[in-house]
Amino acid sequence: MAGHSAVLTDGSTLSRLDRALERLERVAAFVSGLGAFGLMCLAVISVGGRELFNEPLRGYVDWIEMAMPLIAIFGISYVQRNGGHIRMDIVVGKLKGRALWLAELFTTFGIFVLMAALVWGSWAHFDRSFDFAAPMWSRDSTIDLGLPLWPAKLIVPVAFFIMCLRLVLQLWGYGRALVLGLETPVAVPLVQSVAEQAAAEAEHIQGHDA
Amino acid sequence: TEWNVSLWGKRRAFTEHVHKLAELVEEKTDGEFTMNISYGGLSKNTENLDGISIFAFEMAQFCAGYHPDKNRAITVLELPFLGVNTLEEELAVSQAVYAHPAVANEMAQWSAQLLMPTPMPQYNLVGTGEPRDELAEFDGMRVRATGGIGRAFEAVGAVPTSMTASEVYQAMEAGVIDTASFAQHAHLSFGTINEADWWTANLNPGTVNCPVVVNMDAYDALSDAEREALDSSIPAALDHYLANYGELLARWDSVLEEKDVEKVMISEEELDKFREIAGTPTHEAWIEELSAQGLPAQELYDLVMTTLEETRASN
Amino acid sequence: MTSIEIGLWVTGGLFVMVVLGMRVAFAAGLAGLLGLVWIFWEKRSYDPEMLGWAISVAVKTAGQVPHGKVASQALSLIPTFILIGYLAYYAGLTKALFEAAKRWLAWVPGGLAVSTVFATAGFAAVSGASVATSAVFARIAIPEMLKIGYDKRFAAGVVAAGGTLASLIPPSAILVIYAIIVEQDVGKLLLAGFIPGAFSAVVYGTLIVVLALTIKGFGPPVRGFTWGQRFASLPAALPIVAVVVIIIFFVYNPFGDAWGTPTEGGAVGAFIIFVMALLHGMRGAEFKDALIETAKLSIMIFTIIWGVLIYVRFLGFADLPSAFADWIASLHYPPMVILICILLAYAVLGMFMDAIGMLLLTLPVVYPAVMALNGGEDVLAADSTFGMSGEMCAVWFGILVVKMAEFCLITPPIGLNCFVVAGVRPDLSVQDVFRGVTPFFIADAVTIGLLVAFPAIVLWLPSLA
Ligand code: NA
Ligand code: NA
Repeated sequence: MAGHSAVLTDGSTLSRLDRALERLERVAAFVSGLGAFGLMCLAVISVGGRELFNEPLRGYVDWIEMAMPLIAIFGISYVQRNGGHIRMDIVVGKLKGRALWLAELFTTFGIFVLMAALVWGSWAHFDRSFDFAAPMWSRDSTIDLGLPLWPAKLIVPVAFFIMCLRLVLQLWGYGRALVLGLETPVAVPLVQSVAEQAAAEAEHIQGHDA
Repeated sequence: TEWNVSLWGKRRAFTEHVHKLAELVEEKTDGEFTMNISYGGLSKNTENLDGISIFAFEMAQFCAGYHPDKNRAITVLELPFLGVNTLEEELAVSQAVYAHPAVANEMAQWSAQLLMPTPMPQYNLVGTGEPRDELAEFDGMRVRATGGIGRAFEAVGAVPTSMTASEVYQAMEAGVIDTASFAQHAHLSFGTINEADWWTANLNPGTVNCPVVVNMDAYDALSDAEREALDSSIPAALDHYLANYGELLARWDSVLEEKDVEKVMISEEELDKFREIAGTPTHEAWIEELSAQGLPAQELYDLVMTTLEETRASN
Repeated sequence: MTSIEIGLWVTGGLFVMVVLGMRVAFAAGLAGLLGLVWIFWEKRSYDPEMLGWAISVAVKTAGQVPHGKVASQALSLIPTFILIGYLAYYAGLTKALFEAAKRWLAWVPGGLAVSTVFATAGFAAVSGASVATSAVFARIAIPEMLKIGYDKRFAAGVVAAGGTLASLIPPSAILVIYAIIVEQDVGKLLLAGFIPGAFSAVVYGTLIVVLALTIKGFGPPVRGFTWGQRFASLPAALPIVAVVVIIIFFVYNPFGDAWGTPTEGGAVGAFIIFVMALLHGMRGAEFKDALIETAKLSIMIFTIIWGVLIYVRFLGFADLPSAFADWIASLHYPPMVILICILLAYAVLGMFMDAIGMLLLTLPVVYPAVMALNGGEDVLAADSTFGMSGEMCAVWFGILVVKMAEFCLITPPIGLNCFVVAGVRPDLSVQDVFRGVTPFFIADAVTIGLLVAFPAIVLWLPSLA
């Protein structure tokens, strides 16, 4: 169902662009992970401060609200690059060759339409909270500390824009595979059978448990 | 015409005027103009004003304190210790402020037009442990209070602790907080009253202001008959709201008795001390800050004060 | 066309996209976006000049959802719970647990298999993810079982089934997601997961003992551990107990005031495991790896959440959930029959879909219907169909559907846990694991039946809090 998929590489322009973008995406994902760790520290500080010094972290909820888009959205493109967003592959898993690339091209184009629209929509959402004329450029703020919300809202269109770049590369990759009739195209996550994918997942965990 | 109305939570005293309005409008237009009231289905509560501005729906309710930067002018109504004591006074000052051009102007930036207020009683405290009726006893108290009220308690040494409303009951049970400030209907619906040992009957530290707004284009697109039906129904809707909330307030004393919650009266002397520390300086700071941002802050503040005096005089 | 018809068409389109293999999160988001365009345009009587306006309003409405829905305190539990699981590997908790379970429990008939079940249940208390639990124990427990003569298919089945316990026993990402979608108290749901999770483990254990007593040549009990050895195995496994106690006590303290909120409990638990992992030798590279893996899994889950919530926003405008609820409530079948049909539908759907995707896609429509069946959100126990208040019905149904989702992890053709176990063991095919796990279908059917028949198993603990 879910899963990690293999992405092949070679010396072509497409593959080099793929790897360049992947470096950026990996940094974004790491920042998301750091955010999750920061969230944990924040809660420990809040509990500790309250129990030990009667000084709970002021505006704890506000800080969570600010951090969550970073954790939950910033690295979205990295997950797409590796085919990590879940799908039902009971049908595409049966397809081969051009039929497969056509199906992938079609669904990836659907995702591209959605994400391009959401870059616009989430930018508008950010834009309503942003005002050059206002103090701290803020026209929307958190409930307790009155932190300006625009930085948290800006994360979304930025992450979605990177995602659109990724989707353009994937459309290029699938399109190329379709036209040339390739077996194993570069720069796109390849469908693995559930078994291969489980093996990859298990491998990962074995590494951990050593 | 069918309007979508975005509210949140559940139907409660807080939303009764909207239901009454919908009912009256439908009646007066023989079913030509209906309102489809949605609780949370159309938007998140803190984004109702955004939804109005993009015209996703025609009518909505929001609270000024959720996002002061979106609606700076009406935050004057959320200042602590304004001296508002009754729902009628709250209604009068809200309507006076809503009629001010600076307020209308700020709302117009969101394509919004203020339709009517949601008069809320003062956010008094329920608390656990020994009753706190002197200023000195507020020192170190952990209180769940947001915005201006939170800052007022902070000024007298209390520790405001933030959490979502749905976590408040548990936080109180857990001793994470000692007290929580809400309106009566919220103390009932969040269950804080069940944990409480005492209730401050006359602290009256302030309240939140939650107007009902409509999208300007939607309002303009109404036929003359529909607009007349809408406008003429507002007073009756507010009367219904006041009567309904009044019943809840009248029942409040028996609720306290039933739950064995002590009613704490704070002396005028202590209240004066409180206002001196947490009231007046906050007001002055607010006027200064918003004047600097180009709003007629002093004018809005004076408007509240004179309206309050006039309302008292007329009763 | 009425808005409800639009709702049905768009929902049909969504399922076509999902079947065609579009990533679930984006299929839901796209269906929601197109549905919003349709609804807004319909409101302007399909005036060609207003199409641009309808698209603009729909895009801006959808554009609010990713930030707006994700920025919530309750959802912050999900990355925390995922982080705990990854850190637990580095803290060496898996081996410690299996060793302790073996020394204490392996003397019963089918002892090593029973020990495996209880070790997976213990690991479930620090792991939010079922698949990870199965993969880890496939490596530790299967070799030991094979050594003393267990059937290899059965040994694999035990591990695949034991892994499913992780989504019922807190911390559980899937329970948090359920709580968010249905807007119920996360703490109560997490608390409610403990007893059914432990109960499932006991049912599995009992089944194994019965099989061991009836089948000749089943794996023998392992005896001969001294009390000294038993107690010596405890310290290494103790942090699990600490984390369980902390999470419970932050939600509900039987001896007095609870210690805080679920959000805080999860974070403090993660912090303890983090310190353990540091002491156990985790360093920069492993830590970075844990963070990136946490980010990947969290983002995957959050993307489905906001994608589905765009679709849910559209459903709000189309008013479909309340129409469906009215329809279900008006059916002339006994409510219990309808509930069982819903659960059976989940069992079938779960054979073909991922558990989280399945719950997120269906709950916005199914949950209001179940609540309506019980008599509404605010119904009192005395006036209700199933004899429980609206709030408790939400908890009970949540545990039932999560148990169904777990069941889907071991059913063919795509039960993921079975694939993972087969993936770890070169000597086992997927068919072997599916065959070995079959007895546990019966155990799960029994468990679900008992949870339906005796809701108190689920509701006793949360009703105290
Ligand atoms: Na778990
Ligand atoms: Na294998």
